[in-house]
Amino acid sequence: MSDWNGMDDEAFRMEARAFFESEFPREFRFLPRRMRWHECRDWYLKLSKKGWIAPNWPREHGGMGLSPTKLLIYFEETERAGVGRMPDQGLTMVGPTLIRFGNDAQRAYFLPKIIAGDAIWCQGYSEPNAGSDLASLRTEAVLDGDDYVINGSKIWTSMAHDATHIYVLARTDKQAKKKQEGISFLLVDMKTPGITLRTIRNIAGHEEFCQVFFDNVRTPKKNLVGELHKGWTIAKGLLGFERLNIGSPRRPLQALEKLEALAQARGLLADAAFAERLTQLKLDLADLGSLYGRYVERARRGEALGQDVSMLKVWSMETYQRLSELLIEAAGDYGAIDGEVAMGDASIDVLSAFYNSRPGTIYGGSNEIQRNILAKYVLNLPS
Amino acid sequence: MTTSKDNSHAALLAQSVGDFVKRGADLPRVRALAQTHAEFDREQWQQLAELGWLGVLAPESCGGLGLGLAEAAIVAEGLGRALTPEPYTAVAVLAARALEYSADTPLRNELLSGLVSGERIPVVACHEQADDVAATRIATTATPFEGGFRVNGQKQFVIGASGADGYIVSAEAAGEPQLLWIPRDATGCNTGLIPLADGRSYGTVTLKDVAVPRDHVLASGKAARGALARALDHAAAIASAELVGVMKSAHEMSLDYMKTRVQFGKAIGSFQALQHRAVDLYIQQELADAVLREVVAQLDAAPDDNTRALYASRAKSRCAEAALAITRAAIQFHGAIGFTEDCDVGLYVKRAMTLSAWLGNGRAHRVRYAQLAAQANREAA
Repeated sequence: MSDWNGMDDEAFRMEARAFFESEFPREFRFLPRRMRWHECRDWYLKLSKKGWIAPNWPREHGGMGLSPTKLLIYFEETERAGVGRMPDQGLTMVGPTLIRFGNDAQRAYFLPKIIAGDAIWCQGYSEPNAGSDLASLRTEAVLDGDDYVINGSKIWTSMAHDATHIYVLARTDKQAKKKQEGISFLLVDMKTPGITLRTIRNIAGHEEFCQVFFDNVRTPKKNLVGELHKGWTIAKGLLGFERLNIGSPRRPLQALEKLEALAQARGLLADAAFAERLTQLKLDLADLGSLYGRYVERARRGEALGQDVSMLKVWSMETYQRLSELLIEAAGDYGAIDGEVAMGDASIDVLSAFYNSRPGTIYGGSNEIQRNILAKYVLNLPS
Repeated sequence: MTTSKDNSHAALLAQSVGDFVKRGADLPRVRALAQTHAEFDREQWQQLAELGWLGVLAPESCGGLGLGLAEAAIVAEGLGRALTPEPYTAVAVLAARALEYSADTPLRNELLSGLVSGERIPVVACHEQADDVAATRIATTATPFEGGFRVNGQKQFVIGASGADGYIVSAEAAGEPQLLWIPRDATGCNTGLIPLADGRSYGTVTLKDVAVPRDHVLASGKAARGALARALDHAAAIASAELVGVMKSAHEMSLDYMKTRVQFGKAIGSFQALQHRAVDLYIQQELADAVLREVVAQLDAAPDDNTRALYASRAKSRCAEAALAITRAAIQFHGAIGFTEDCDVGLYVKRAMTLSAWLGNGRAHRVRYAQLAAQANREAA
């Protein structure tokens, strides 16, 4: 394995660029939706073989252990090449959570499976009546012999139809005084009898999320992460990694790539008012990179991310939305067209960034909830 | 390259700035000085010299600590937090860097040593027009004359002029820029002071047939252009650090007030509308802080001219806008009392306004950022 962090920034960028440009399948570049597993499996395995599948994981667990600067370059180059978003929850959330909260056996069993593409994860968090108020969840798990038996339902489960595994927050102690107590964090194989799925079509017409039903689903005791009834701490820890992932400049960068191509194609840079707005957004995104680096560094040192990581998610997703909105405005009359539009010498999908950026301020804890968290735990404002 | 000696200097510096910040802002002194439109309190200035703060950047050969912008930013943020009116950035960064990057002459060393010890107060007089971030538009002329130059022109927006004992002036001689040392009391040199919102002042320096001897030439041609450009970018970054200090103090004031002010039987900080607004401003503060740290680290690594300027503009643009937003909101959070002269909020608003405007405001730096980025793209293509 190479010492990527020891490489010159430009040399690393050129290697990443050459690799993403030559190896990522042409037909999936700038896909207006998330990639399905059957579409991205080969690419996932190719990255895995090169040792590039987990850029932010520590080296000892099969990751690249990239420094903040190198990680940003990695993302800039994936977005430049239009690399699609894979079912990535094992890489962005479960892996870091097991590294921090799991036991040796869980790490030894699951981490190599994630790296190898043998375990694809989805998130069993939200329920029909537990969205922003996540701790009011009602899915329950009862110990029976060597297994926990799970009953209930999870919803808005992204890519559950491609997942081999799901991590589930379940109530294990109904007598607990506070609703955050008595919740446990369980790992479940999706092939287990009793699991059924219903796909849900999103506003853009894509089937990216599902409702998952649990009817007496058995998962072995060894799949409990951390202590029984103490899953809320792990749930929050995972949310920290989720916010770090959502808060990366990666998705807004995608929209900026399109916006700059469109501005070029339509000759909008000569319009001083437009140029000023574009520059402001470019700075909003560049400055997100500086803030993101602070948290990547914390994660690299194995420190808790802290409640303040919420601001990364707020700023990233709202910048993404502002970019997607300027993209539509910059398209003028073309801004009503579904799918790719030929403008000048470019062909750009104008609406997908708008759709893809909408849930960003809702999932992972709505941005209003993030602001409540910041007000309470970071600014210490009274309730 | 940092050495362990640098690290120990940096640690001591951080400690002394920390102590200074802990003592809190001496706002009665700030208010008293504002009445006089003189940003200098000689005694305070001497203390800054004794703490070693004026010499953070200056080379050790001139009595300085020879540290980087990362350390200067710590000092400037502390001074900004305390609303210190003394022109640290104008003297210890802008003038110190312009001198450091000038030719190694006896005059340059004398000025730099004097600057570090607090005995000399040189400031840079290079701007003639607003929004000229890199100060490249020079109408001031230097005409060869008996082995030296005769200088004519006018410079504006000179922070620190009220107490300066001389100017580092940019002038053109046959299309080539020069950096010249002109003592404040030189014949034909006239300093006018324009009052600023925060009680400090901009100097307008008028030069009429000022005779500058050859040994007062600090740098010429490409060297002069380079020295000034680097010094200005470094100063923009450190003015941004002052702005970060100002915004942090102001936002703390707002948050403290929100925790204690009771209306409708509750602390107003419990109201979600105010909480979310305070959070959004906090995000601006933290973006500003993160950008500042990255920018000073990058500038300390001496990147190429274009990259350096891009970073400096990122810092000034974000920090200026964030400081203005946070201090303006502080008035609103405080309600009517925030609009009174007695309320300290106004002092932070006004300092944010003068620091934002000086060396190019947010908009000017965004315009420059766009131009430089386009230029970098063309070169890459």
